[in-house]
Amino acid sequence: MRISTVTMYEQSMNALNRQQGEFMRVGQQIATGRKVVNPSDDPQAASRAVQVAQSMAVTEQYADSRISARNALSQEESVLNSVSDAIASAKTLMIQAASDTLSDADRASVASDLRGIYETVIGQANATNGNGRHLFGGYQDASEPFVRAADGSVSYVGDTNTREQRIDASRLMPVADNGQTIFQSVHASAGYVAEADAGNSGSLTFKGPQVIDESDPDFGNSFQLEFDVTGGVTTYSVDGGPALAYEEGTPVEFGGLSITLKGAPADGDRLDVGKAENMNTDLFKTFEKALAVLDQPAVSDAEKAARANTINTAMREFDNSLDNVLTVRASVGARLNELNVVDAVADNRQLNYTQTYSNLIGDLSDPANFAEVVSQYSLRQVSLQAAQKAFVDIKSLSLFDRM
Amino acid sequence: MSMFSIGLSGLNAAQNALNTTSNNISNVYTPGYNRELTLLGEQHSAGGGVRVNDIQRQFDYYVADQLNAASTKSSALQAYQTQVSQIDNLLANQDAGLAPLMQGFFSSLEDLASSPSDPAARQGVIGAADTLSAQFRSFDSYLRDMQSGIDGNIRDEITQINNSADQIANLNREIALAKAKIGKAPNGLLNQRDQLVAEINERVDVRLTIQESGTYNLSIGNGQPIVAGTRSFSLEAMSSSADPTRTVVGYNDSAGNQVELDQGTITGGALGGLLSFRAETLNQTQNQIGQLAVSLATAFNAQHQAGFDLNGDPGQALFAVGEPRAFSNKNNAGAATIDAAFGDVDQLTSGDYDLVVTDAAAGEFEITRRDTGERVTATLDASDQLNVGGVVVTIGAAGTLVDGDRFQLQPTRQAAGGLENRISEPAQLAAGQGGGSGDNRNALALQDLQDSLLVGGGATLSGAYAAIVGDVGNRTNIVQANLSAQQGLTEQLEAVQQSESGVNLDEEAANLIRYQQFYQANAKVIQTGSTIMDAILGLR
Repeated sequence: MRISTVTMYEQSMNALNRQQGEFMRVGQQIATGRKVVNPSDDPQAASRAVQVAQSMAVTEQYADSRISARNALSQEESVLNSVSDAIASAKTLMIQAASDTLSDADRASVASDLRGIYETVIGQANATNGNGRHLFGGYQDASEPFVRAADGSVSYVGDTNTREQRIDASRLMPVADNGQTIFQSVHASAGYVAEADAGNSGSLTFKGPQVIDESDPDFGNSFQLEFDVTGGVTTYSVDGGPALAYEEGTPVEFGGLSITLKGAPADGDRLDVGKAENMNTDLFKTFEKALAVLDQPAVSDAEKAARANTINTAMREFDNSLDNVLTVRASVGARLNELNVVDAVADNRQLNYTQTYSNLIGDLSDPANFAEVVSQYSLRQVSLQAAQKAFVDIKSLSLFDRM
Repeated sequence: MSMFSIGLSGLNAAQNALNTTSNNISNVYTPGYNRELTLLGEQHSAGGGVRVNDIQRQFDYYVADQLNAASTKSSALQAYQTQVSQIDNLLANQDAGLAPLMQGFFSSLEDLASSPSDPAARQGVIGAADTLSAQFRSFDSYLRDMQSGIDGNIRDEITQINNSADQIANLNREIALAKAKIGKAPNGLLNQRDQLVAEINERVDVRLTIQESGTYNLSIGNGQPIVAGTRSFSLEAMSSSADPTRTVVGYNDSAGNQVELDQGTITGGALGGLLSFRAETLNQTQNQIGQLAVSLATAFNAQHQAGFDLNGDPGQALFAVGEPRAFSNKNNAGAATIDAAFGDVDQLTSGDYDLVVTDAAAGEFEITRRDTGERVTATLDASDQLNVGGVVVTIGAAGTLVDGDRFQLQPTRQAAGGLENRISEPAQLAAGQGGGSGDNRNALALQDLQDSLLVGGGATLSGAYAAIVGDVGNRTNIVQANLSAQQGLTEQLEAVQQSESGVNLDEEAANLIRYQQFYQANAKVIQTGSTIMDAILGLR
């Protein structure tokens, strides 16, 4: 075939252009650190890379979420720790106060210790996080969830909600507990509590109640014992049932429970017995109740009996509240634990995503990809040099040079 | 006596051959030049000698035709590739793409869920929403700039095509005149005309018919002539009757009417490449980004409005988005108007729709989705409305509809360009559902949208974006592959064409030597004749 001079130049130029383009492309791969630079280099990989990058971002997002969840829960845990310590000390003080050998002055000093603890617990219940938001108000985190009325009583003005956060694709985790759950509840499994009526005028005191038969059909119900003194004969009835003779020191049994009664009840005195969850569950009320009797010197038998009964009830209630706080703390601990587990799983997942992503885009930090691209680079360089040499050689061959 | 005349004819022929060779050498790099050969013949008349039969141009019509067909495809693909790689490059930038900003937005929502009343977290969401919507707009404006760039390119191409057509018509006349005068067409003019045909083919695919007289006629599209003998008919850039924002190719026929050319009939040359790129990729990409914007805005607005802000008020719409666009065709016989608004966003597609009235009295339309060609028939309801792919179309003055009236609907074309964050006050973010300042339920619900199938009811936001990246990547990839195949073919044909018509300098160098010797030999003949004559005259 005849080859025209123009063809010779053009074909050499085309070859040069092509080689240069390929060389530039490999250069660009090295510069960007990836084999897939433009979506057109590998459309499927580029498209999947977007998806994998999204998964990586989402995983990262949940990791951030876990950090703030962990902060919130750790803070709650530390508050609950001091609350449980406080309740334990309150219980110790109650045991101290229950001793009959204590003088009124000693009791007053116990009362002042107890008041200190009470204030601590209120302070903890109104604790705030770094942003000045209250930890235990449910969604009402802008103001103190526990407010004190003029008469000194404390009431909860937060709500019963629990803030949740998405800490993993399929897990919404509560990252707080509301004040009601912590300070105004007892665990459903908490036992029986007995409380003497505030209007009792006799010297009746009680010990117990103890559970003796959980299979009793009435077990679990609340009961009211009412005393009747007619003509020097003391009888009692359970929930308005038949009148039974009262014998001091003999355990009274009903509904699978046994309670030991002492002292002389007056006519119309009452004793309430019920599951802890149906009685007072408010920790602050317990404090208020205990403080009220400790502050007041008891003179008469009736007053002494009332003090003993209140301290007795308060001790049970403190026990139940402590159990409740410890249960919440355990659940916080379990959640913190879960966060660690999810962290480990997510780290693993993130590693997989990173690997997949780097495979998809041909990340050059992978030695295999790097070696491939570098060898391509040298290869293209040689090809380009060869094309240049060919061009120069062809150009230098002309018959005119020999004329 | 005859020796002189024979020698002289040889000198003359050698002179001619040397001229031809010189001409070949001087035009070796002239585009469109075809190598010439001096065809010598014996002189039969008195006493013999040589004569120049013809200075023949080496041109193969068949190869030229093939080459033109190949190069018109090459330049179409070249134009397509130049444009599509701009989108490809835009998507290549990982950090500036939409994906990281969508991720950033969701990540800011996570912060909001963690601390719903924290002003910093709230400000973070507003900042991320601003950035995200700005990126949508800038993405869209990049594509819109490409649209107007293409409009400009179409105008330029049309001007060039008109110029070339004009020149070809002129050359037709000059060549005919020259032929009448000297009985032969001058090679220079023929070269020029063939070169113009090659050039016009790079701009648009034309069909060449050569009349018996040698006149070139060119036609375009469905056979509309642009050169007929010594007349040329001009193309004109005009706005489409179906969509006034679009520049299309119009044709001025001999009666002076302007006809809009169907873009499907123009597939070759740079003009064809631009038109196909616009129809297949640019509009599509803009629609897809728009669909993404609408899905994002609608889902977020609905969820945000379901919540309550820090002041306890119900949430407002979070994003504003560009409305669907609809046009009634300029050539409609009826006076009905069209209006469109988003309906069920789950049904939204990235396609544009043509609506044609098939039964005006019954309000019946044939609806064609432009990108897939899918057709359905629909009838106006009692309130003169139609549901077309998630868009509620309202026909105004439906009583004036006439059969054959056309409308065009572009559901998401300008959606991304109108995406804006409407909330600037941190307290107005609805993070809760009425529970108080610590309520984060709505923030969680907003965060959950990242895994919801929001786009067309079948893809997450990032999934839809990945599909766009894959789509553009595929198209670019295919165009590049086709282009390099077509370029290879074109180069082959160029080599074939050049082997017939191109000048080889070595060959011409050899010719120079050859014809120089030829000239010297003939001069020698005359000298010998003269010597002989002298010898005879010297006889005493």
